[in-house]
Amino acid sequence: MEKDNLTLLAEFLKKRENIDPAQVKPEATLEELKVDSLLLLELLFEFEDRLGVKIPNDIPPPKTVGDLLGIVEKLMPGKGA
Amino acid sequence: MAGGTRVAVTGLGLVNPFGGDLTDFFGRMLRGESAIRLYKREDKGLRPLAVPAVRCEKFDAMALLGGPLSYTMDRYSQLGTAAALSAWRDAGLPDTKGAPRNDWGVSWGTALGGTLTFESGYIEMLCNGRERVPPLSVVLGMNNAAASHISIQLGLGASCATYSVACASSAVAIGEALSKIRSGEATLMVVGGSDAPLSYGVVRAWEAMRVLAGGDETSAVRACRPFSSDRQGLVLGEGAGAMILEDWDLAVQRKARIYAEFAGYGSTSDHSHLVRPNADGQMRAMRMAIEDGSLATDEIDYINAHGTATREGDPIEIAAIRGVFGPRSKAVAVSGTKSMHGHMLGATGVIEAIVTVLSLASKEAPPTAYLQNLDRECAGVHHITGESLHGDFRAALCNSFAFGGSNSVLAFRAAH
Repeated sequence: MEKDNLTLLAEFLKKRENIDPAQVKPEATLEELKVDSLLLLELLFEFEDRLGVKIPNDIPPPKTVGDLLGIVEKLMPGKGA
Repeated sequence: MAGGTRVAVTGLGLVNPFGGDLTDFFGRMLRGESAIRLYKREDKGLRPLAVPAVRCEKFDAMALLGGPLSYTMDRYSQLGTAAALSAWRDAGLPDTKGAPRNDWGVSWGTALGGTLTFESGYIEMLCNGRERVPPLSVVLGMNNAAASHISIQLGLGASCATYSVACASSAVAIGEALSKIRSGEATLMVVGGSDAPLSYGVVRAWEAMRVLAGGDETSAVRACRPFSSDRQGLVLGEGAGAMILEDWDLAVQRKARIYAEFAGYGSTSDHSHLVRPNADGQMRAMRMAIEDGSLATDEIDYINAHGTATREGDPIEIAAIRGVFGPRSKAVAVSGTKSMHGHMLGATGVIEAIVTVLSLASKEAPPTAYLQNLDRECAGVHHITGESLHGDFRAALCNSFAFGGSNSVLAFRAAH
């Protein structure tokens, strides 16, 4: 599943910020991918929409792609969030 | 005039329905060419819409601003930022994003701001059953978004304010910037306005007021006929315009091209009725602009009228002009260019200010298009009809009179 979410993220960043999908790796920081607070809001919205999950407002702010995908992963059905 | 500082207009930019540049746009104005077309849309579950309107169909935000920026903007901000960047280039100013200037600012106008964003949110929730709207809805829709984008893109650190004064929004934005430069608070201001009002609900709202001109595929082009005995109302349009205002001496120092002097500003309220204009309020605004610009009434050779082509508004404006200019009114050239570019609400003041400035600079003023049968109630001034008027215009006024009774008049002096 993580690979799928990573692809989803890479496609979103390609469309929105023209980021090379090769740069979108779990260890990459969101800052270096030009993800600011507004873009993060949109990303969370996109994940919620695509995956049918609800991300709480009080999540610890993710620093890396891996952090972000971890938050989403935990909430996905069958992952026992 | 408040102080000794003069203010120069050194850059002009716009996004216009013809899709060409500034020269192309003004050439079409001089030729009396209308951009009004029949605007048709069919939305799921809604009564089809077909009204004469003005649209910037060729505007390509992605190409002009790039994807990352365009996605964070409502169409009104896209139009506005594109116009501001265009004026910036026209003024020959340097790239300041990397070297911000805290003595340069933005003064912007919009009547409706992000109305398209709001409408699409409502449609998603109320028609399509979505429970929520996109997370950028607030920052896309807010009325000061365009100004802030311009400030960020150009690195402008002085005042960044937005004025929402219905149809006078950008005229007020331009006027209010004058004192900032005169006082030294800023030495350069990017001024103007933008609106993208052609949402389904907004068009229906204007229709319900019974002030929109009707028309079909053939007649739409001549739907807006200010001062004409058979005028039938206004035509809504989208667009944006921007001007660069600079401290005159600094503009001369940097050898900038000066289109005209922004000499004076008059701002008054009718304090009488929400939609019925008042000649006294308009006269006070014109006189104030003339006096503020240290101009003599006799120096005003051209007026770009507010001229919306409503039954009620046009004769009142002409009465106000006659009141200010007295017997000389017949020599004052007047045109209503909304007959060609429509009523761009918050952007209309700056579009007309650009036309006024270019008329002074080129010594050629556009006609009121399709004015063949002058309403007797609108007589008494020199209406420019048919062709453009060549003249050694010394100074000109640009009138903007908003619903709500807010009047804004800008006075420009020829630089030649």
